[in-house]
Amino acid sequence: MDGFFSVFDMLAWFPENISTFGQELDSLFAIIYWVSVAIFFLTFGVLGYFLVKYRYSPDRRGYNYHGNNVVEITWTVLPTLLFAAIGLYSDDIWERTKYSKRVPTADVEILVLGKQYGWVFLYPGADGAFGRNAHNDRTARSLMSASNPFGRDTADPAGFDDVVTENQFVVPVNANVVMRGSSIDVLHSFFLPHARVKQDVVPGTWMTIWYNLFKTGKYELACAELCGGGHYGMRAEYEVMSRTDYDKWLDARNAEVKAARTPQPAPAATADTAAVASLR
Amino acid sequence: MSTSTLQHGSAAEHGHDHEHEHHHDLPWYRKYVFSTDHKVISKQFMLSSLFFLFVGGAFALFIRWQLAYPGQAVPIIGDILPASWATNGVISPEFYAQLLTMHGSIMIFFVIIPFAVGMFGNFCIPLMIGTDDMALPKLNMWSFWLVPPAGLIMMAGFFTETGYAAAGWTSYPPLSAQTGLAKFTISGQTLWTISVFLVGFSSIMGAVNYVATVLNKRAKGMKLFDMPLTVWALFITAIIITLGTPVLAAGLSMLFMDNFLHTSFFLPDNLVTNSTYFGGGQPILFQHVFWFYSHPAVYIMILPLMGIVSDVMATFSRKPIYGYKAMVFAIAGIAFLGFIVWGHHMFQSGMNPLLGTTFMLSTIVIAVPSSIKVFNWLGTLWRGNIQFSSAMLNALAFVSMFIIGGLSGVFMASAPVDIYIHDTYFIVAHIHYVLFGGSLFGIFSGIYYWYPKMFGKMLNETWGRRHFFWTFVTFNLTFFPMHILGIGGHMRRIYDPNVYDFLKGLGGVNEVITIGAIALGFSQLILVGNILWSMKWGKKAPRNPWKANTLEWAAPEHPGHGNFDMDITVYRGPYEFGVEGREDDYWPQWEKGASVSVKHHTVAVTDDTKTFGAH
Repeated sequence: MDGFFSVFDMLAWFPENISTFGQELDSLFAIIYWVSVAIFFLTFGVLGYFLVKYRYSPDRRGYNYHGNNVVEITWTVLPTLLFAAIGLYSDDIWERTKYSKRVPTADVEILVLGKQYGWVFLYPGADGAFGRNAHNDRTARSLMSASNPFGRDTADPAGFDDVVTENQFVVPVNANVVMRGSSIDVLHSFFLPHARVKQDVVPGTWMTIWYNLFKTGKYELACAELCGGGHYGMRAEYEVMSRTDYDKWLDARNAEVKAARTPQPAPAATADTAAVASLR
Repeated sequence: MSTSTLQHGSAAEHGHDHEHEHHHDLPWYRKYVFSTDHKVISKQFMLSSLFFLFVGGAFALFIRWQLAYPGQAVPIIGDILPASWATNGVISPEFYAQLLTMHGSIMIFFVIIPFAVGMFGNFCIPLMIGTDDMALPKLNMWSFWLVPPAGLIMMAGFFTETGYAAAGWTSYPPLSAQTGLAKFTISGQTLWTISVFLVGFSSIMGAVNYVATVLNKRAKGMKLFDMPLTVWALFITAIIITLGTPVLAAGLSMLFMDNFLHTSFFLPDNLVTNSTYFGGGQPILFQHVFWFYSHPAVYIMILPLMGIVSDVMATFSRKPIYGYKAMVFAIAGIAFLGFIVWGHHMFQSGMNPLLGTTFMLSTIVIAVPSSIKVFNWLGTLWRGNIQFSSAMLNALAFVSMFIIGGLSGVFMASAPVDIYIHDTYFIVAHIHYVLFGGSLFGIFSGIYYWYPKMFGKMLNETWGRRHFFWTFVTFNLTFFPMHILGIGGHMRRIYDPNVYDFLKGLGGVNEVITIGAIALGFSQLILVGNILWSMKWGKKAPRNPWKANTLEWAAPEHPGHGNFDMDITVYRGPYEFGVEGREDDYWPQWEKGASVSVKHHTVAVTDDTKTFGAH
């Protein structure tokens, strides 16, 4: 029986929340939910009561009454106050989660690109700085290609250690992760259901996405904007790790990138080969 | 159909005879096909919308099958599906994208809008304002005759290389603008664009006509505030259409050129795709242009039904509408606010979050006129004498489902809450509660209410109630659980939810929805059966079967071209039920008689020299 009634407890269907502002979003959802439930029972109660009480009887007549301004004003002002309160409270949370000025200082910075059908990620690598790429230099956009989606300039030494991952990424727990997202072809939407994060990524523009996750574990990233036949399969996994595990992971990736680069005479590398090497 | 008018001897006395005779000379194809009679045009809209209702519904059932049983062959018809749709009966992901696009486009552009605006606009406006026809009958005829070709053009996408359009009914570029096809290639997407452009054009022609008719052709004595709410709602809707639709046409033209002529309005630089043309464009521009029309369009789809439901509720509660003027102002308020809220579709689109604040606040304000309307409907029921006819039941369903749809709208109006539920099934639930639970129940209500005047026959009440019962139950079974899917994070427009671990627990919900949807689809056959059966074998309708007040009931049982067999003068507002000092509990607008208004009550008086407005 418990299982049956849980169907009506809509809030129980949320996937577990793992982000700091996710708690605020969920509680705002719950507030609106309970307000709605109250309004629902109020209006449906009145409706049902009227339908029963004033059902047809041949002995009665409808009451000729055209309305009353005091009543009209009352039921205009009351919902206005209620909804204005919801709006202003929502706006406070909205400003803190989405306004560009409110994005916190990044502990970790990652670039993300959507493509048909998958996600690629770029980490700054051991030196903590990105090389020249399509995000930090507009002119590098012309380097973007299927094998070098980030438009990385392979001649820039700062970018030698940048790490690319595909359809998976890793973030540290309890850290401000700031991602810059874009797309190389059509619209996609970066959706982390457990982190309550959603942001469309638009080709030609970089969007800022930030979050702070408080629970370690493996979770999923989905695309939430129709992007073609393969849209449903545009899934990626991410893992939230403790800071030490994260550093270890990053070290391992750095070693891989270094190993891939060593056999090659660096200056002679063409844009494409270097990118492919770092794609692994 | 419409030839049975002239039996009424009184017609000759009122100088309409010349007109009527003239119409009798028309060849059959001018009477039934290319007719300029608003009632025939209205029936044509009704038939084409009913047809497309089933086409769109069939697309929906394919979608539902795939979601409940992903990877399983479609039963019964699986083997005969074309290879471009399915392999071994299993729907392909590409076809799935076409299905959801066509379902949305057909239901919105070929079912709800033509029903709400085309059918009821044409039927109600001239009859309810007491005139013989539209101000511009030929334009009216063309507004219908653009719809069948537009429908065929959209459906012709099947014959193109890429199949039907597949970018969603919203057709966001770049997905909709770059197909990798050569210049001048006809694709499903270009056909979609042309088709929607044409229905838009049809809408504009109709709307111009409605505005002209309402402003110029009202019966003698009818002030604007003597018009029934149906006419008010259609009038305001027509204004929205004339302001909004041209903007959509602009967006569609740009999209068409991007596709067909390889311009690049919406394609930015440095795309990594198989198209050869792009650069300098802005994808989000299309969203702004599209929603500038398409948000007001949701009010185009619901306002006329709000009017109709108000009329039905007044008639069957035997009571005046509570707060008639407040209702008119609420409609106007919704229409105005509808133009400044389009950005709430774009909270997560990459639009500057600062604008999110603006659009959130304006959107939330819309809840106010909406709740005014709900409260006034409840006020109308208060101390009424409520008759539960099929029309009334559907009207009550409209009000109750609109409450749910309105409340779920508050969630997504709040931008931070929208972050999570945007593009999930929560939105799908909301749109269906408003467009099916709202608009379609309103449309059913209107059909049950005006069928006697349209066809001169009564619809079968018993089957009407059965249709209502099954529709109401299966509707809620289908769409309510979608809220749960949405809260669970289930994205809309995905082909196979089983790809994701976090959606694994929702399979059962998807199955329930699909069972509900199939039952809902088949329940609609009752309506079609009833409509067709009653046309031939229905009881003959009296002139005023519901004892209503509005002018259409002054027309003969089955009015022909020219509508009325008497001169119409309007003496009072449309909702004078239960007036003190009268034997009947209703008082038609066209019946002579004086009244005074005492503290919001209307009282009939015998003194003919004093006539007060009765609001």
